[in-house]
Amino acid sequence: MLHELERLLDGLGGWLIRADLGLGLLLVVGISMSLSHVFALFANRLAARQIIWRLVIDALVLAAAFLLTSSIDMVLLNLYGSNPVHPSAFVDGIASCLLPACFYVAVAAPYVGETMGLVIWVLMHLNVITFVHVRFDLPWDQALLLTTPGYLLAVLLVALLFRQSWQRGYAMLASELGQP
Amino acid sequence: MKGAGRLYPWSQRFNLKLLLLVLAIGLGINVVGVGHLLLAVRSALSTADLQLLLHWIGLLLLVLIPAAGIYSLVSEFAFWEGWLEGLPAPSTLFDHTPAVAASHRCYLVYLDGIHQLERDHPPRVSAFLELLEQQLAAETLLVRGLETYTVMPVALAEDAGSAWFWRRLFALQEQHPNGLVQLLAAVLVQANNVIKVGISSDRRYGPILNYELALKISLRLAELGFRPGGGSRIVLTGYSGGAEMAMGVADYLRRITQAPVSIISFCGVFSGNQVLDQLSGITTIVGSKDPVAAFGRIAYPGRSPLLPLSNWNKALSAGRIQRDCIDGMNHNGNSGPFSEPFRLRVIKAILAALALPVAAPERTGC
Repeated sequence: MLHELERLLDGLGGWLIRADLGLGLLLVVGISMSLSHVFALFANRLAARQIIWRLVIDALVLAAAFLLTSSIDMVLLNLYGSNPVHPSAFVDGIASCLLPACFYVAVAAPYVGETMGLVIWVLMHLNVITFVHVRFDLPWDQALLLTTPGYLLAVLLVALLFRQSWQRGYAMLASELGQP
Repeated sequence: MKGAGRLYPWSQRFNLKLLLLVLAIGLGINVVGVGHLLLAVRSALSTADLQLLLHWIGLLLLVLIPAAGIYSLVSEFAFWEGWLEGLPAPSTLFDHTPAVAASHRCYLVYLDGIHQLERDHPPRVSAFLELLEQQLAAETLLVRGLETYTVMPVALAEDAGSAWFWRRLFALQEQHPNGLVQLLAAVLVQANNVIKVGISSDRRYGPILNYELALKISLRLAELGFRPGGGSRIVLTGYSGGAEMAMGVADYLRRITQAPVSIISFCGVFSGNQVLDQLSGITTIVGSKDPVAAFGRIAYPGRSPLLPLSNWNKALSAGRIQRDCIDGMNHNGNSGPFSEPFRLRVIKAILAALALPVAAPERTGC
């Protein structure tokens, strides 16, 4: 039992070392996205320490969310694709596709921010489709079909996380104003 | 604002520093990303210097525009957090002793365009407002001199974080011998106000900025003797970007003052994103040769007929918006609303809008 656990942990360690570039990039993407909604945390009137904690936790949650969506892409490719996929190589490749999201902090900018966010999301998906098409020799339509579920899940997770923060902020504003 | 009293000055400074640190980290990530991108661009376009220069400028703008926008948000949110002193809570704004007959039945609040730098309006605008004031009925009070683009009760040149920058820019604008430098400084000052218009129309940040501005206007109204329940009404009149600010604050002002609020905009540039269904009326006065107001209809998708469910289009289809077009009027300059040929016509249109019947209190929810 212990040997089995040790073997599993060794495997995980080896995978982490091989995928360090991809995981590092995912973390940068998480930090950038987390910073992009820092004003939502201010809208909630959190204390400075709470804001730091929330930023760190949100960054980790977002990085994990992208890891999860990458895993979905990987599983679908393994199930329906023709070429074998190595997890660390795949995470490295996918994380490079998410490079535009390193600029996601700019989405915090007023008025132009949401448009920039939209462009970044579209770029990320196009990158992933192109990567899967080139790396695994899949036709464009199949690459689109296999990568879209993971992408949609990522959009949903990020939207949910950010929306909750803003909604709480607006509820606080409404309570200050009272009922009309 | 409730928390303001609980914080000590050192912790306020700490919070502001923390906020700036967070922003600096964000900017740092951007700069690192841009650096990597530049390396790629340079290796790909090593021979085309001009192209490289254009890319540099483009990338710089890509970083600077969001950075300027984000910096502009800092004071609004520091204010909202209670780290800066200034505006009281809505419940403490007005004198709540039993209302006697109000001295003024109508408060006409003027919100200036993006050219406003300080409390005093430019000479042409001041002359226009004096003329308007002379023609108003005795029961109507014109409220002027509101700094539309700052939520803080201080001018830009006295802002704690950026006073040095604005003072330098104002000096360049007024004293530099080179006309181009003067123009550039003027553009930068106005860019700050444009960003505020952008914040007001942003569905994420707009509610908080508009609420803070509504508090600032309410505070001014309270100083002038306005009292909720006194039977007075409020009319917001906004020029250019002031129209967007008027639309943004109107519903919050209605809730805070519990009075009917209507809007009269002229040469207005506004998003139409805001809550308009509880207002007593909206009148837009437009010039037939106004390219800036026309641009606003393109820049803000909420006013496009392609989005019939936007707040603006819903108000339009419900017949709550009156439109008055003045032939030949431009956005500014010698054919603008403050010019001699047009100012009387604009004033006449404002007076006509003021004379329109006000929606009953049941409809306004007040």
